[in-house]
Amino acid sequence: MASAQPAIVGDSFAVGYRFQRYWGTSMASAFFCGELGAGLFLVSLYYSVNAGMILGLVVTAVLKTYFHTSHMGVPAKSWRAILRPDRAWVSRGLIMIVLFTGFGVLHVVTGAYGLFEMGSSATLDIIKIVAALAAVGVMAYHGFAMSDSTAISLWDSRLMPLVSVGYALLGGAVVTAVLAGPTQAGDVSQTAVSLPSLGLVLVLLNAGLVSALLYGAYHGSPGARISAEMLFKGVFARQFVPLVFVLGLALPFALLLWAPGSFFVELAVAIAALIGYYAFRVFILRAGVYEPIMNFAPPE
Amino acid sequence: MVFDLRRCIGCNACVVACKQENSLPDGVFFTRTLSQEYGVFPNVNRVYIPTLCNHCEDAPCQKVCPSGATYTRDDGIVMVDGEKCIGCNSCAVACPYDQRSVMTKESFEDGLYADGNLTPFEEQGYTRFTPGTVTKCDFCSERVDAGLDPACVATCPTDARIFGDLDDPQSKARQLIDERGGKPPLPEKNTKPKVFYVS
Repeated sequence: MASAQPAIVGDSFAVGYRFQRYWGTSMASAFFCGELGAGLFLVSLYYSVNAGMILGLVVTAVLKTYFHTSHMGVPAKSWRAILRPDRAWVSRGLIMIVLFTGFGVLHVVTGAYGLFEMGSSATLDIIKIVAALAAVGVMAYHGFAMSDSTAISLWDSRLMPLVSVGYALLGGAVVTAVLAGPTQAGDVSQTAVSLPSLGLVLVLLNAGLVSALLYGAYHGSPGARISAEMLFKGVFARQFVPLVFVLGLALPFALLLWAPGSFFVELAVAIAALIGYYAFRVFILRAGVYEPIMNFAPPE
Repeated sequence: MVFDLRRCIGCNACVVACKQENSLPDGVFFTRTLSQEYGVFPNVNRVYIPTLCNHCEDAPCQKVCPSGATYTRDDGIVMVDGEKCIGCNSCAVACPYDQRSVMTKESFEDGLYADGNLTPFEEQGYTRFTPGTVTKCDFCSERVDAGLDPACVATCPTDARIFGDLDDPQSKARQLIDERGGKPPLPEKNTKPKVFYVS
């Protein structure tokens, strides 16, 4: 028998690394929908794409809520999750979601479509600003909730909230580009940056953020290193690398360089980027491991 | 609590006592005795490492609990109020020691014999849990309140588990830590555990 360092031991009574098994696919889906919806709303707000704002609100308010409640053990008591904003990011996030949904709907109804009179333009501006800030909060809080769990070394990174925001904006930009259509998507006259250009920048940004996150994990604690290795060359590599890096980042980058503004290209970019984004969310949860409680094996 | 690693023989009597005392369903453990083998033949060693909730002074599970279900008693025991828990599992991913247990609805329905029928022992014991919530070791708080040791401590045949007031310099637990240099698990996580290991 060799002087083996602890391995992944599953649920056995042995010293070693254990996969976290408490946040699974439903939680990954809830994070994905929350970030995508908020990012879609924010980008659509900036580019005045009303359909994007509505879809963003629906994705966050309906799909995210559905996946969260399907994850919870006692969904009937889920309202209690709002009770500790002084210490828990889940509580803060729920407050952000309530604010985002409430003020987002108000903005769509009053500011975007003008269905109701809400007083002066200053009031409309306040509604818009609160909705936008709450959207940023929804985008970021998943990352804070994960990085707050220092038990899982892979997640214990200050980059995690930035990755959340980066992916949320990327998802929002590529879906908004599809909803806006080829004319508006390529129109740079009304905004500083065209949607394809924004998508290109965000793909590069996310490639940098994800690479930095995994590089930091690989050179961090032993548990984070094992997680990073599983994503790059271990059990998850055959899905993670092709889906997250090739399909989710490299392909959208190439397509946006090749034919920006074309509807079908934007559609392909959106599908590829969203698959990569969802895969990232799933595998970053699945690859999380707890460190061994003690280790008596001498260093190799 | 202090674990004397020189004394633990890995008999798992503590694990059985815990399951019996707390009426734990199949697959749920509040304490485990982990083993590790190391070395190169013929110089091979095996060490047993008992684990349970460390009742951390700076408990990350309590910090992340969004519903206020996790709280710390005046005597330092970290508790979970099953009536307040929403089953979000935030505490489970926050605990560096993986000492939280999800009480799934299935674990109460299948029964220990996995045939859908509960034994009288299970029918009585499962009433203390709320299906769907997360729970953990509470140092057998009812026994502690009655002046008894936790079930795992009372059962240990080798006195490898020592329970006592760590703030009391006269307690055996405190003296063991001081004399033999007690080490907390994963000190780098800065949770200030109230469980120490001496070897």
